[in-house]
Amino acid sequence: MFLDIDKFSREQVAIIDESYQKVTYGELCDFTDEMKKLELERAIVFSLCENSAGALAGIIAFETLKVVPLLLSSHIEKELLSALESIYTPSYYWVPESFEDKPAGEVLFQKYGYWLIRTRNRGYKIHDKLSLLMTTSGSTGSPKLVRYKYGNLEANAKNVAKAFGWTNKERCIADLPLQYTMGLNVINSHLVVGATILLIKSNLMSMEFWDFIKKQRGTNFTGVPFSYEIMMKLRFTRMNLPDLYTLAEGGGKLTDELYVKLCAYAKEKGKRFCPTFGTTETSARMAFCPPDMAAEKIGSIGKAIPGGELFLLDDEGNEISDIVAQGELGYRGPNVTMGYGICREDLEKGDEWQGEYHTGDIARRDEDGFYYIVGRKKRFLKLFGLRVSLDQCERLLKTDFDGEFACVGTDKKMTIYTTNQEAASKTPKYLSEKLNMNILAFQARYIANIPKNDTGKTVYAKLPIE
Amino acid sequence: MKNREKYDEIFCAVFGVKKEALGETFTFKETAEWDSVAHLGLISELEEAFDVMFETEDILHYGSYLNGLNILRKYGVHI
Repeated sequence: MFLDIDKFSREQVAIIDESYQKVTYGELCDFTDEMKKLELERAIVFSLCENSAGALAGIIAFETLKVVPLLLSSHIEKELLSALESIYTPSYYWVPESFEDKPAGEVLFQKYGYWLIRTRNRGYKIHDKLSLLMTTSGSTGSPKLVRYKYGNLEANAKNVAKAFGWTNKERCIADLPLQYTMGLNVINSHLVVGATILLIKSNLMSMEFWDFIKKQRGTNFTGVPFSYEIMMKLRFTRMNLPDLYTLAEGGGKLTDELYVKLCAYAKEKGKRFCPTFGTTETSARMAFCPPDMAAEKIGSIGKAIPGGELFLLDDEGNEISDIVAQGELGYRGPNVTMGYGICREDLEKGDEWQGEYHTGDIARRDEDGFYYIVGRKKRFLKLFGLRVSLDQCERLLKTDFDGEFACVGTDKKMTIYTTNQEAASKTPKYLSEKLNMNILAFQARYIANIPKNDTGKTVYAKLPIE
Repeated sequence: MKNREKYDEIFCAVFGVKKEALGETFTFKETAEWDSVAHLGLISELEEAFDVMFETEDILHYGSYLNGLNILRKYGVHI
């Protein structure tokens, strides 16, 4: 059984979602048994997720029965879904009953507001170790997937639970999307200790969110930097939240200002603030900063989680042995996934990374061995906690507009430079729709020529990022 | 610029819509673009433009274009 959840008391509540659907650990086991009777083939299932009991129960059953889910949002853009569908030809769909464009096929099973549909696609060979597929970013309309192996989710769940010291008394506030690597890890690291997951669809800016977590006495919350910006705007530091004890952060770099504020808040109210760091390629978390150290180590992501190892690489890719150093952040551990996939054939591939991943982030290590993210080697932004590839955005723009494009930016806003004066004003709305992201995240500038070097490559350094 | 024009311009910029789209039905429930990102953007822009600081309750209840006008009036904005 996934995460050995059959060892917990049957009566213990595993999930409570916003529609007040309650599912116990025993019921999760029964649900998996029911699915087992269907004798599903080892194939790909497109799981269109929302933060509800049905979506999560499905993932738990698929992991147990070795059917391989590709986790997608139930609000996925139609074009992207049909592109993924034609590439990966899933044998099954696990979709909410409310999903508008119901995939064609036979409904095999129905529970907790979800349908299991058998499509007309034929199964194909996939690697024995392949356990799960996730998109590389929450959004960028890219069919590039990360290939998880059996043991990845389990190892990260266990080691993260250990880092936080979770017990079955926790009532975890799970509002990060469960198809998002950090969201899934928050959930799994609680399931592995037999705790209760409060699954929330409403956003942080709604009355429903705050009513729900207060009524359900949520004990811990994990947010991306944007979540904390919202919470500061709502002046949550003045709210009475007696049950909330742990505030964790991940999915991007907090500003030092916000980091300090959260440390101060935790100290004043007797709570703990735990910064973490992770990527989709490492089944989420790699680093954890102990709450008693955060106030001393402003901006730090801490050290490797139990069972893992962080290191720094120089420009030649050699590991740096000096303690105090700066370089590309690398990680070794049981939660490192197998590699990427861009086509069906890639799903036959085995473990290409062998437990070691180079993140593309530039990090600094201090004299006590604490790590700090200082920059990025790869060209991507983290807008609202979602990774957006700048190169991918340029490619998208070029498919629908004439002229040249160069995308740069900060984690707050992308700046689109284009030689197409007429299209410039249309590009923010275009990317906003393609990436399913608010238009405020984009601004466009007309430029006569995109700066290029001798080999014709864009010189991004010459383009102001703001 | 009149306050109402300022108000409309902020909505158009935050939601990427034309002025004609604004009205009674422009609410959190009926506007797909009205997510937490848009909401935070809207509140920040309104606070800056009208020099107000909303209470938590008002931020959480700021779910409609029309009702928003009433909330702003509570803070002494003539609109």
